[in-house]
Amino acid sequence: MTRQRRVVVTSPQTRVALARRRLGHTALPPHLAPGDLERARRIHREQLRWALVAVALLCAVIVGIPLLLAAFPGLDDVRVFGVPLSWLAVGVLPYPLLIALSRWQLRRAERIERAP
Amino acid sequence: MIAAGTGSAPMVVTALMLVVIATLLIGARGVAIRSTSDFLVASRRLSPTVNAAAVSGEYLSAASFLGVAGLVVKDGIGALWYPVGFTAGYVLMLALVAAPMRRTGALTVPDFAQARLGSPGLRRLCAVAVIAIAVLYLVPQFKAAGLLLNLVGGTPYWVGVVVAGAAVSITLALGGMRAATYVQAFQFALKMVLFTVPAIWLLVHVGAETRSSALTPVEFTTFAQETPVEFRLDTRLTITEPTTVAVDGQPPQVLAPGDYTARTGSTWRFAAGSDVPDVAGAVAPGGESWTRPLLDPSGAGFPLLATLSVLVATVLGTMGLPHIVVRFHTSADGWGARRTAAITVAMLSAFYLFPAVYGLLGAALLPELFLTGGTDTVVVALPSRVDTGWAGQLVTAMLTAGAFAAFLATSLGLLLALSGAVSHDLMSTAAPVRRLRFTTLAAALVVVALALPAAHLDISVLVTSAFAVAASTFCPLLVLGLWWSGLTARGAAAGMVVGLLASAGVIVVGLLASPPPGLVSVLLGQPALWSVPLAFATMVLVSLRGTAPAWAPAAMLRLHLDERRARNRSS
Repeated sequence: MTRQRRVVVTSPQTRVALARRRLGHTALPPHLAPGDLERARRIHREQLRWALVAVALLCAVIVGIPLLLAAFPGLDDVRVFGVPLSWLAVGVLPYPLLIALSRWQLRRAERIERAP
Repeated sequence: MIAAGTGSAPMVVTALMLVVIATLLIGARGVAIRSTSDFLVASRRLSPTVNAAAVSGEYLSAASFLGVAGLVVKDGIGALWYPVGFTAGYVLMLALVAAPMRRTGALTVPDFAQARLGSPGLRRLCAVAVIAIAVLYLVPQFKAAGLLLNLVGGTPYWVGVVVAGAAVSITLALGGMRAATYVQAFQFALKMVLFTVPAIWLLVHVGAETRSSALTPVEFTTFAQETPVEFRLDTRLTITEPTTVAVDGQPPQVLAPGDYTARTGSTWRFAAGSDVPDVAGAVAPGGESWTRPLLDPSGAGFPLLATLSVLVATVLGTMGLPHIVVRFHTSADGWGARRTAAITVAMLSAFYLFPAVYGLLGAALLPELFLTGGTDTVVVALPSRVDTGWAGQLVTAMLTAGAFAAFLATSLGLLLALSGAVSHDLMSTAAPVRRLRFTTLAAALVVVALALPAAHLDISVLVTSAFAVAASTFCPLLVLGLWWSGLTARGAAAGMVVGLLASAGVIVVGLLASPPPGLVSVLLGQPALWSVPLAFATMVLVSLRGTAPAWAPAAMLRLHLDERRARNRSS
């Protein structure tokens, strides 16, 4: 087997930055074609709105459950199959909720992107 | 406590060797990939599922494998909020970061800062934050490795840390983790099997009585049977009743009520029926506050506040972890990165159902661990407590190998991210491979030196500090940079400095000053609840006082355009 020379793998951005630093000039500022610009504005607005809805739902899960558990200590004494309900609310319940939320958000984001 | 026993040592060594050899063999497959462009093209062919397994493989560290169960024994059911936060971070990543971040083409956050805001100064500031996060994350990994080898091999803690440092350095010298995506995806499968199979074995093997006593805990106040307790640290004990103890194999003596110090490495054999002594800053498993499903470390008295602070840190910090950001770059495009994040949520959810098993069984079978400062060892100590035969030894070996794999995968990723930040972003010229490797070895040395005095810190707590720093610096930078064109380089820098001081600075002050339990200790120990809003506010306010360059809207908006459509249009 022939030995290959090892090379440093850097990201395109790092290479651009390093080249810029060596050559001492700045890159062209990023730009968008007018048609793309309008579309990008619309997509950005839509994505932001639904991302914020997803963040709000995430808060409802991970802030809501501790608040409920703090407010209703009686949940410690309710048992499902011998396990305290409040333990299930920490150890098991959040995970299916998080999976459902991420599936929902993924669908939403992909649909917005596909829209004309 | 019962050590894993020297009897299992050959099996453990074999298991460790198998893990390392399998890792190297899969890495060797990557030899087919020869040049930079091969590397970049190869990355485009990976499916989001393989990528998500790689993300999970790199993410599941010793903190997840050992730390969470240890904290359940120490602090109670509330510790199960840690893995919820570790998982929920990827929902936020999916909603706010994954796709647009991939489209910047930036491999690291310092790259992103320069690409989006065009400021080399900000790049260096980001590199400093990367170093702070990586060191805070690495020290507990090395602590875990030291503890593991101490438990299994009976070597002193410092020897374990040094051996772990040597293992990492040798792996790096052999070429690191080549074909890293495949190796990390394999690591995920390995950890999943080595964590879940022993958990199920334990559940079946302990019997119905232990299972039900794990679910109906009674406060650990008296030793039910004669119990040897091996202290891993100097520990101050308060004895309230005359107690019969045999120290280090000497004949039993009756200790009068009062304060005593147990020396590191000494073994106290408590007689059956004697009272469990009190330890400052620790609560006995099974008590009233232990069974509450909120975090109340060392009985500080602010469970809701402490729980939310940990959740804010872990959820917002995930997006800023340097070894994870790089992983998302292996996705072909924004679409793939988003799918990767979504699948990662499901994979982590499956893994994090299991730490509770070890924590609950540990509290039922090895409650005396809370005395020793060695609760992080509970996962590995359980099998030999349940079965002293070959099956118990085999399961111990499996768990040790899994924990070591977790340590190795995360440490290598973090060390590479750390040395990349030092040699690419802080020093000004392109780094040759040789210097990159030298920086990595130097970083490993520094981390080993820092891990030596860290024996008494909890793995998961320290890892959460790293999350808090990431949440207070990179979370506002990424979220505002990707979604708000009004962010200026000056605003970003001001927010980063404030966030860094309010998180890393405050955590260091808290460690050094060790304030008494109470509101102050909660706010200093887990500052995320106030440091993250502070960093966000600083970034927004300072940015509003200046003006972003004219190209800023285009630089931000193009990150939200689907690159597949753009490619189709141009072709």
